[in-house]
Amino acid sequence: MQGAYLNYAAKRLLQAVVVVLLTYVFTFVVVSILPGDPVTNVLRDPQNGFTEAEIAQIVAAQGLDKPIPVQLWNSLSGFLTGDLGVSLRSSRPVSDMIAEVLPSTLRLAGAAIAVALVLAMAIAYGARFLPHRYGGAALRALPSLFLSVPSFVIGLLLIHIFGFQLGLFMVIDPDSFWATFFAAVALGIPISAQIAEVLMANLDHEASQDYADVARARGLRQSRLFFRHLLKPSSLPVVTVIALMVGEVLGNTLITETVFGRTGVGSLIQRSVVTQDLPVLQAIVSLAALVFVVINLIADLIYPLLDPRVKLVGAAPRRVTTADELSGKVSA
Amino acid sequence: MTISSTKTLTRDRRRAGIALPAPPGVILSLLVIAVIIGWSLAPGLFTGFDPAIGIPADKLQGPSAAHWFGTDHLGRDLLARVIHGTASSVSSAVIAVVIALVLGGLIGLLAGFLGGWVETVLARLVDVLLAIPNFLLAVIIVTALGFSTTNAAIATGISAVAVFARVMRSEVIKTRSATFVEASFLSGGSRWHILTRHVLPNASRSVLPLAVLRFGQSILVIAGLAFLGYGDPPPASDWGLLISIGKNYLKWPWLVYAPALVTVVTVLSLNRISRWLRKTD
Repeated sequence: MQGAYLNYAAKRLLQAVVVVLLTYVFTFVVVSILPGDPVTNVLRDPQNGFTEAEIAQIVAAQGLDKPIPVQLWNSLSGFLTGDLGVSLRSSRPVSDMIAEVLPSTLRLAGAAIAVALVLAMAIAYGARFLPHRYGGAALRALPSLFLSVPSFVIGLLLIHIFGFQLGLFMVIDPDSFWATFFAAVALGIPISAQIAEVLMANLDHEASQDYADVARARGLRQSRLFFRHLLKPSSLPVVTVIALMVGEVLGNTLITETVFGRTGVGSLIQRSVVTQDLPVLQAIVSLAALVFVVINLIADLIYPLLDPRVKLVGAAPRRVTTADELSGKVSA
Repeated sequence: MTISSTKTLTRDRRRAGIALPAPPGVILSLLVIAVIIGWSLAPGLFTGFDPAIGIPADKLQGPSAAHWFGTDHLGRDLLARVIHGTASSVSSAVIAVVIALVLGGLIGLLAGFLGGWVETVLARLVDVLLAIPNFLLAVIIVTALGFSTTNAAIATGISAVAVFARVMRSEVIKTRSATFVEASFLSGGSRWHILTRHVLPNASRSVLPLAVLRFGQSILVIAGLAFLGYGDPPPASDWGLLISIGKNYLKWPWLVYAPALVTVVTVLSLNRISRWLRKTD
């Protein structure tokens, strides 16, 4: 077992490294097929007010006059040594720009995942124990509804009700407690739906096991049965789902931060897209992929240790893979 | 896989042949989709108002018998704008799903059918597509292609390729190892024969519900891209764009809620149909 696990871990680690490198190359290729020449688009923009001599200097400094494969090589080796390059717009190091906005986004994303977890547990608990006609059935349908609403509509709805009607927060002060809270709710709701679906399916499975019947026969209260017995075995797959959701949270901050007028990684992406600031885009997308790969690597490495029933087949030990396959599994 | 898996496959096929009466929720969903298709094919039949020309005196009116969804800041009937925007929203979602289905299906098919180094290479490609957050992937592709609704649709399609490739691959592998496929091969069936006669029909039974599900998801992603301003600019009236314009007039909330309601009901219906397809097949 020990040897098999180490073998598996080494393979999985190597695979993760390969995926991160390939993702960097893929992003570079996508970003460098931008229509038009970034040098003319960005540097010769009259708003920047660069002279020809300055432009030539920037082009030489960034290596933009070199052939694409050479640029890729320079960029990739920079990435591997922690150098994310320099913004075409502001000439500031990209790592500084990201570090500046990262705390705000991490706070938002962390709060969103916490909201999602609490909401998913509440939905799953209610769907399991509320009588059908007192909302149990409605709760079961809730995740499906959550997944059908565009995430910016959830944000607008919350701003309209709690910001404008109830006056809990001001849109012009996006860093206040309530504004952050509701932004986290808007970001967390679609995530909670996917967690709730997996949790409900697993709770149903666990509740039909003999040990659950025994516990009920012993006269255990519902809440005790839920928290002491059912929740733990049901939450293993949830670990995987949350790891997969991290990518989605990072992507969706783009919309949530725009809706709530927050500054963060999402709004930095939005600004870089509009101004075609390629080094910034390249860096953020690669970092997002890196975060996603590392978190899933950790989940993959922990999973066999948490659940000894998992067989180490090849490099894919998890029984749950993508959200779509999951929803297929849930209704099947 | 042994005899038992063959049994389920044949039983499933027999069951699929019998037309099951659809539950009421599914019938309602099918009706919704029929209306949406009607709106996108012949918008003029469903509204007498012009989506582009408004009466300034009637601006920002609430929902009423004359204007079901109210009017916008230029006095244009909002329902007319939603109905005329349907074609663009629906057709871009179709483009997205077709791209995802064809590219993803092909990748999954090749990986599952050929195996070996082809599978390894394609699996890494799929890993790369999965590693970049879905929405972010759509954003950088639409940035690379240029802002327009069609490009947003292409980007959305590419961002969903990985999901189709995964499902297709696992279906192909499942079918390939079934006994009846082995029998067909032994009785002289060519690779092509097995592919078209056995593998594809069986795989389509899980890929079709996925396509319907992704159709709804694509509407949401494209609406998100339109909301950020990566789609066609205003005279267009995609659902996402209408909501985006409406957010500047939150004092008149129907400008957001009416197009949002149409979007949500459409996506809910598609999800319901997808779930039903998965159960009956």
